[in-house]
Amino acid sequence: MTDIANRRPLALKTLTTVFLVIWLIAAAFPFVWTVWGSFKVEADFFSRQSWWMAIEGTRTQAQTGSAFTLQGYEGAWIKNEFWKAAINTMIVTLSVTIISLTIGTLGGYALARSGYRYAFWILIAALVFRAMPHITLVSGYMLPFFELNIWGVLPTTIIVLVAINQPFTLWMLHSFFLSIPKDLDESAMVDGCTRFQAFRMVIMPVMWPGVITTGLFSFLLGYNDFAVTSMLLSQQNQTMVPKIASFLGSIQNEGNVMFAVAAVVSATVPLFILVLFFQRQIVSGLTAGAVKG
Amino acid sequence: MAQIRLVNVSKRWGSYVGVDNFNLDIADAEFLVLLGPSGCGKTTTMRMIAGLEDVTEGEIWIGDKIVNNLEPKDRDISMVFQSYGLYPNLSVYENIRFPLRVRGIPKAEHHERVMRAAAMVELGPFLERRPAALSGGQRQRVALARSIVREPNAFLMDEPLSNLDAKLRVSTRAQIKNLHHTLKRTTIYVTHDQIEAMTLADRVVVMNKGLVQQLGTPTEIYDRPANTFVASFIGSPAMNLIDGDVTDGIFRAEGMALPIPLGVSGPITLGFRAEDVQVVPQGGQLSATVYSMELLGDATLVSCRIGPALVSIRAAKDFRTQIGAPLHVAIPPSAVHVFDRSSGQRLSDNTGLPAQATSSKTGAA
Repeated sequence: MTDIANRRPLALKTLTTVFLVIWLIAAAFPFVWTVWGSFKVEADFFSRQSWWMAIEGTRTQAQTGSAFTLQGYEGAWIKNEFWKAAINTMIVTLSVTIISLTIGTLGGYALARSGYRYAFWILIAALVFRAMPHITLVSGYMLPFFELNIWGVLPTTIIVLVAINQPFTLWMLHSFFLSIPKDLDESAMVDGCTRFQAFRMVIMPVMWPGVITTGLFSFLLGYNDFAVTSMLLSQQNQTMVPKIASFLGSIQNEGNVMFAVAAVVSATVPLFILVLFFQRQIVSGLTAGAVKG
Repeated sequence: MAQIRLVNVSKRWGSYVGVDNFNLDIADAEFLVLLGPSGCGKTTTMRMIAGLEDVTEGEIWIGDKIVNNLEPKDRDISMVFQSYGLYPNLSVYENIRFPLRVRGIPKAEHHERVMRAAAMVELGPFLERRPAALSGGQRQRVALARSIVREPNAFLMDEPLSNLDAKLRVSTRAQIKNLHHTLKRTTIYVTHDQIEAMTLADRVVVMNKGLVQQLGTPTEIYDRPANTFVASFIGSPAMNLIDGDVTDGIFRAEGMALPIPLGVSGPITLGFRAEDVQVVPQGGQLSATVYSMELLGDATLVSCRIGPALVSIRAAKDFRTQIGAPLHVAIPPSAVHVFDRSSGQRLSDNTGLPAQATSSKTGAA
């Protein structure tokens, strides 16, 4: 490995290193900049005089007596009840993940083991729904939800997100189930299991990596969704992402935009931890999907 | 008590016929081998007996009940799969115990039964390992132990040896034969390897394209193949089959003349086994040039071409010749099998030609 790397011409090595460094800065800078800026006041972070002020925190020093301040976080979390949005996000994402996985494992298993033609068509239909922009589905939901008086509450949003997420979960778990040899179910059934027992006692223990990966993707979908949550949730039931958007929508008030910045950082940190923790599963899941389609 | 009976069993997928009108009675404690090339329907037949495949038509009886609509778990059978089908997340011990656990057999019995089954296939030292940490032969033995631990009415084995190397295959084959002798259970064994079929079976069913070609003991199938398919499938090397014409009771093909006193005339296929004929210095019924010579150690295999057919002759171990040298072969009448050319069906009904033909033949030679 290292031998081959060392044999490369120096120019190429320099080029790749430079490219990687530039790429790393380009990718990481926005996030690092936001984290840094979230501890400043608006006059610094959005300074018109010099962007150097955001680094040094001149105004922050003048206004609060320290180069760093928690004003943005305090305003977002306490004054504007961002904690409520965080709890809502937790409820929505966990529910979406659990419901999607339950339906997805059962359905994916059934489709993977079904010898019938319709299994294929169900998967194709699922793919079509998956391909549609989320917003097109939501616009159709609005009127019926108003009529039925179920607009604005969390359960409705959860159901819609599950519906949007399900095709993907189904596809992904389906391909995971396909990679488990049929002999395993069959030997379980000959050994004395019913179909469901074979699923529960033999297939599921082997499926955990697939379930965790699919669960992560479902979690991310629920967590990051804007289209559905912003349209279907009332002001007091908002989750984090639309809440951040509404902070940004009211920048005429001094300091509000800093609430948004602080909230963005607050919403991103858990994702970072999650991805770092599960990176192995995410990568293996991505390649499994890539190979099995 | 565990006879298995198949009555007019067929399996079709749309217009494709997997198994066609299969009839078979398997006696209690019999070792029956389903033999055929891949795609001949032998595995499908076994899977129908196991309940893993629906029967399109006909009845399957196990013991005294029709099992067509029973789940696999209710048929009291066990099965060894070609790919073993071991549970990767369980240890060897738990794999073997699994059938006892799911069938609610009293816990107190588990340990003893698992240990007994493991001992039968010599798995003692590996009980705590995961299947991934075992070699192919060991995995195969775990699958065997799992199938015998419950002592079901019948064992089904789907090409259990095909993933093993040649040496291991021989020893595991002996082990299976011995297990069957010890347990005395009805066993159905699917293979495409005719040597496995010959060595293990009480009776063999030779199948091709979903149809039963012949049912009989290994000796019957070897000595009296019912048609050219069976003749060319069984034996190593397979039976030599030569197309030719019979006129006035004499079979003629390129380099061959042989009296056939069966009253047949016109095109036939003539067959004989490599070991039933002899290389002679002069005369004989077959004259050709040597195409190839293979030393087998215990014998020498000489081959020659008769038209498109490659004909093998087994000679003594110290026989030597050159490629291209003339070859004379004596074909005793008892070695000759006669088949109809178009249908491939056997025409001579004994092993070889009728007795009176032998004397007239000897005179001619």
